[in-house]
Amino acid sequence: MLECLTMALPLIKVENIYYSHPVNSGEPVPALRGIDLQIEEGEYVALIGANGSGKTTLARHFNALLKPERGDVWINGMNTREDHNHPQIRSLVGMVFQSPEDQLVATILEEDVAFGPENLNLPPEEIRQRVNEALRVTGMWEHRERPPHLLSAGQMQRAALAGVLAMRPRCVIFDETTAMLDPGGRRMVKELIQRLHREGLTVIVITHFMQEAANADRVVVLDNGRVMLDGTPAQIFSPASRLTELGLDMPQPMLMACKLHTILPEVPEFPLHLIDLLNALPEYEDNHRPLASAADGQAQADALGGEALLQVIDLEHVYLKGTPLAHTALRGVSLQALNRGTHGLIGGTGSGKSTLLQHLNGLLLPQVGQVRVGKFDLNDTQTDLKAVRRYAGLVFQTPDYQLFEQYVGDEIAYGPRLKGEENVRDTVRWAMEMVGLDFEGFKDRLTFTLSGGERRKVALASILAMRPQVLLLDEPSAGLDPVSRRSVIKNLRKLQQEGMTLVLSSHHMEDVAELADRLTVLDHGVDVMQGSSQVIFNSVEQLESYGLEPPLVAKVAATMRAKGWPLPATTMRVGSLLRGIRRITEGGGE
Amino acid sequence: MNNFEFLRMVNIGQYLPLDSFLHRRDPRAMLAVYFLLLAATTFTKSLVGILIALGLVLILFAIGRIPLRYALRGLLPPLPFLLILAVLQVFISIHPPDAQPLFEWKFISIYTSGLLAAGKLLLRFVALILLLSLASFTLSTSEMIHGSESLLKPLTYLRIPVHDLVMVIQVTFRFIPFLAQTAERIAKAQASRGAEWGTRKGGLLARTRQIVPLIVPLFMISLERAETMALAMDARGYGSNPRRSSMIVLRFTWQDGVVILLAAAAGAAILLLG
Repeated sequence: MLECLTMALPLIKVENIYYSHPVNSGEPVPALRGIDLQIEEGEYVALIGANGSGKTTLARHFNALLKPERGDVWINGMNTREDHNHPQIRSLVGMVFQSPEDQLVATILEEDVAFGPENLNLPPEEIRQRVNEALRVTGMWEHRERPPHLLSAGQMQRAALAGVLAMRPRCVIFDETTAMLDPGGRRMVKELIQRLHREGLTVIVITHFMQEAANADRVVVLDNGRVMLDGTPAQIFSPASRLTELGLDMPQPMLMACKLHTILPEVPEFPLHLIDLLNALPEYEDNHRPLASAADGQAQADALGGEALLQVIDLEHVYLKGTPLAHTALRGVSLQALNRGTHGLIGGTGSGKSTLLQHLNGLLLPQVGQVRVGKFDLNDTQTDLKAVRRYAGLVFQTPDYQLFEQYVGDEIAYGPRLKGEENVRDTVRWAMEMVGLDFEGFKDRLTFTLSGGERRKVALASILAMRPQVLLLDEPSAGLDPVSRRSVIKNLRKLQQEGMTLVLSSHHMEDVAELADRLTVLDHGVDVMQGSSQVIFNSVEQLESYGLEPPLVAKVAATMRAKGWPLPATTMRVGSLLRGIRRITEGGGE
Repeated sequence: MNNFEFLRMVNIGQYLPLDSFLHRRDPRAMLAVYFLLLAATTFTKSLVGILIALGLVLILFAIGRIPLRYALRGLLPPLPFLLILAVLQVFISIHPPDAQPLFEWKFISIYTSGLLAAGKLLLRFVALILLLSLASFTLSTSEMIHGSESLLKPLTYLRIPVHDLVMVIQVTFRFIPFLAQTAERIAKAQASRGAEWGTRKGGLLARTRQIVPLIVPLFMISLERAETMALAMDARGYGSNPRRSSMIVLRFTWQDGVVILLAAAAGAAILLLG
C-alpha cells in the first residue's frame, strides 16, 4: 500500500519558487522568478540556458542545497524546507559538479567514494560493498588506492560520479560535468549517463553542449530565472523556438544539415543526432565526372610553408624528476610553427599540450632536446627569459589563476608597467579594444565581479598588452557558453589578421578547425601526427584512435567520401564542403 | 631543475606503499609507538639513551624495508641549521665551575661538557627526524586519519567534535598538494607577464617580494574552492545525519599489542639508562 503511494509521487516537484542570491552590502540578485516543474522517476532531462539563466541555482534546489524564498520543492513527497528530510533527500538526489577536483574530499579514492555512505551511517560491510560496486560501474576500480590529485580530469569526474552512485540515489544531477573534459572523457561520461538512465535512474543534465541536450528525452530551457520552453528535443531544437535569442544554439549537426539541405534535398533539415545526419547523406550516383584528386588539396596545404618561427626538436620533459612521483610528459616531441601562421595542438588530457606550450615561452626549459623561439635559443643559459616571455605571451586555461589585481585596468597594465613602458594607458586601451572590452566601461571594474567570458577576455588583454609577437593559448574556449565562445574565436581571428603568430591547444576540434592551419597531434607525450590541419582533420579514423573527435565537417566529408563522393580529403570548413558538393552536383562550372 | 615545481617541496604524504611488518600494523599501534619513541627521545638526558634511540630507528628502518637513502634525503635540508645549533651549543653551554677547558683562546673556551651537549643535540635531532620520516613512510594519510580518529574517540564524551576535527585534518591533507599546484599555476601566469619567476636570478629579497602578489590570488582561489568543496560535501549528506560510520574497520591484533609493549620498554630504556 505504502509502496503504491510512493510510486505515484513525482520524484521532483517544484511549485512556483523564487530565489535571489544574497550579495554582500547590496540588493540580492534574483535568480529564479516563479518556476514550476515536475520531473518523474526515470526521466532523462536536459536543463539548458545561457550563463546566469538560473540552471545551477534551480538544480541546487533539487537536493536541498538551497531552499526557495517562496514556493516549495518536494522530493518524493518530502519538502526541502524541513531539515530532518535532508539526509533522505540527499541520498535520493545526488549531484556531480563541474570542476572535478573540488568534489573529492579524501586522500585516497576509495575512501572518497565511501564518504557519502559513511554520512548515511551505514554499517562498514554495506559501505564496502557499495563502494566496490560504484568503482566497478564507473571503471575506476583499478585506481581505487590512488590519491585523487594524481588522477586525470576525466578520471576525477568519474570518481566523483562513483561517490554519488555509492549513495544509491534515484536521481543524479550532472552540473556541467563535461565542460572541463577532453572528447574522450566526454564520450565516456555520456555513455555512463546513458547506461545509468537505461537502468532506471532519473538523470538531469545541465549543459552548454547542445548535442548533449539532444540526447535527453526532455529539454527544459531556462531564461532569466523562468522556464521558457519545455518539451522533447525535437520540439525544442526547431527554428520556431528561437534559441539564439536565448543565448543558445542549435546542435551542431542541425546547423550543418540546414546548410546541406539547400543543395542536397535528401538531407533532413533538422536531424537531432549526428548519426541521423550521416545516415541521410546520399550515395554518389553520378559517375561521369572524374574524381577530383585529393592531391589538389595536398599541394595547397604544402604551399602554406614558410619560415619556422618556433622550433622544437626532440623535446623530452619529466615532471618531479628524481622523486617517486616522477612522470614523463613529453617524449621526443618536435614541432615547427610558421611565422604568421596558426598552429594547433590537439590531444587528450595528459597528452602533453600544456607542457609543450610552456616550453615555448621559457616557463619550462628543455631537459632533453632543443627549443628555439624566434631568435631566442632556450638551450643557451645566457638567454634572457623575460624577453622570451614578452616575445611569446602565454594565456592560460583558467583565468582565475591569472588575475591578481583588484581592477581590470591595473590587471592589464601589470605587464607594461613592469616593462617600464611610458604610455601604459594607450597600451591598455589598445589591448582592451583588441578583445572587445570597452576601455571606459571596464577599466575600473573589480576583476572578481566579471563573468567567466569577461575574465577570459581580460586575461587575453593582459597578455596582449605586452605586445607579444607570438601568442600561445592553452584551451582558450573551455567551459564557455556558445555566445562567449564565439566572441573568443572572433578575437583570435582579429589577431590572426594583425599578423600575429598563434599556437593554441584545445579539446574543441571545431574551434581548432576554424583557426589553425597546421596541427600537431599529441598522444601520451608523443607527436603522433604533424601537418596541415586539412589533412589531419580528414584522417578521421586515426584521430578517433587517439580518443579525439574530428570536427563535424570532416566527419560529414569522410562519410560522403565513403559513399562515393569525390570530395577532396582536405575538407575542413563548411564553406569548402558546400563548394565541393556544389561543384560535383552542378557538373563543375569553372 | 624546474623552478616552478612547488609540488616537489611538499613532503607530507611521502608514504611508501611497501608490504612490511611495520606497514601491516594497526595504525593506532604505530601512532602509539611513534608517540612513545618521540617523547622518550625528546626528553631523555643521557647520551646512551639517545644512542639507543638512534640504533632502534635504524632497526625499524630495516624492519620497514625502507632504503636508508630515503631517510638520509630527509636529513640533508635541516643539516646546516643543526650544525649551526651544535656549534653554538659548544660555546654557550653551561659547564661545572671547576671544569678545566679543553681549549682556550682569548675569550673563547671549549669544555668537554660543551662538546658533549653539542653531540647530544645533533644526535637527538637526527633521531627525531628519522623517526618522523619513518612515520610518514609507514603510515598513509588515510591510516593516520583513521588511527587518530579512533584514538581520539574518548574525547567525544567531553563533547569535543572529534569527527569534525578529523575531517578538518583530512581536508587539510587534501588541500596541501592543491595549494602547491595552484601556487605553481599563479607563479607561471605572473612570470608570463614579466614577473621575475624562474629567470635564474634574483636575490633573497627579490624572491620574498614575489611571494606577495602570489598570496592574494592563492587565498581567493582557495576560499572559492573551499566553498565548492563544502557544497559538494553538503550534497553528499555530510552533517545532515548526526552519526557517521566508517568503511575502514581497524583490527587490533596481539602483534600490535606486543609492538606497543616493546615500544614502551624501549622508551623506558631510552629515558632511564645511562
